[in-house]
Amino acid sequence: MKTFEEKWTAWIDGQLTGRELEEFLASLPDKAAAEAEKQSAKQLGSLLREQAVALSNADFFSHQLRERLDRESGPARSAPDAVQTGWWTIRRLLWGGITSLAVFALCTAVVLREKTPSSQSQYLTEILTYRVDPTVSPNATISMFQPKDERVTVLWVEGLQSLPPEYATK
Amino acid sequence: MRFRLVLLVAVLFVAISMGGAALPEQTVWSGLLIATNSPQNEPTPAEVTKIEGTLRRLFGYSQFQLIGEARKTLKTGEEDWLAKSKYFSLKVDSRGEKANAYALNLQLFQEQKLLLETTAKLSKASPLIIRGPQVGDGQLVIVLVVQ
Repeated sequence: MKTFEEKWTAWIDGQLTGRELEEFLASLPDKAAAEAEKQSAKQLGSLLREQAVALSNADFFSHQLRERLDRESGPARSAPDAVQTGWWTIRRLLWGGITSLAVFALCTAVVLREKTPSSQSQYLTEILTYRVDPTVSPNATISMFQPKDERVTVLWVEGLQSLPPEYATK
Repeated sequence: MRFRLVLLVAVLFVAISMGGAALPEQTVWSGLLIATNSPQNEPTPAEVTKIEGTLRRLFGYSQFQLIGEARKTLKTGEEDWLAKSKYFSLKVDSRGEKANAYALNLQLFQEQKLLLETTAKLSKASPLIIRGPQVGDGQLVIVLVVQ
């Protein structure tokens, strides 16, 4: 069974006859428009046949036409080639940038985590050793503490010899 | 070519790691203060204003007069310096930095006499306060702060 396009082509070429022609004409929604199109198709066909006869060197014409098409489409094709010249293509630069950012973020996270003390005790100053000269301060005692809710460390020395007020001078 | 990319990433990683690990120079302020309840003559030193409330609660004095100070910028973490007043001096010997704290050896002298010697790890977020001898109706207080 022929499709509509096949029937259309056959109708324009005058190859549709009998019952098939009647059925095809009945299926056309706008018969006048179809007739007009048939006429213009016939005129175009006649024109092409006349030109084809006049064109004696068809191969040369075809060759020239192909070369011109190649020239016209040439720069469009070479643009991507220019971009891809060298090792640093856009794609690689993009991946390089993404990789660098990821590495930077990773390093920042590692450094920040290392610098963040894990417990309160690491924040506070620690006193490791202490001593007073027993000959200078025989009654001295030392204690150390970190007051609650205060971020300071205190070395508390008792029993040092009291001194007169002039020792407070700069 | 893939090797070049790996090399670039490795160089970036090392550069960023080294840059991030480098710590900025920091300054240690050491002050000799006389804590009293006498009427205020001089303002409290700016270096101790953050812990002024703590000092008041600890010692029971309301005024803190600066009689000697030293400010040392630590570059290697192994420097020494002296904070002194007319009769007192505090000798500080820094022995390096570890885990965000400076290892310090401190010696408090009253003229030529060594009153106290201590070693401490001074944290960058926690001042060290030392109670010294009674002076007149006040108290000698030593404060070390990483700024």
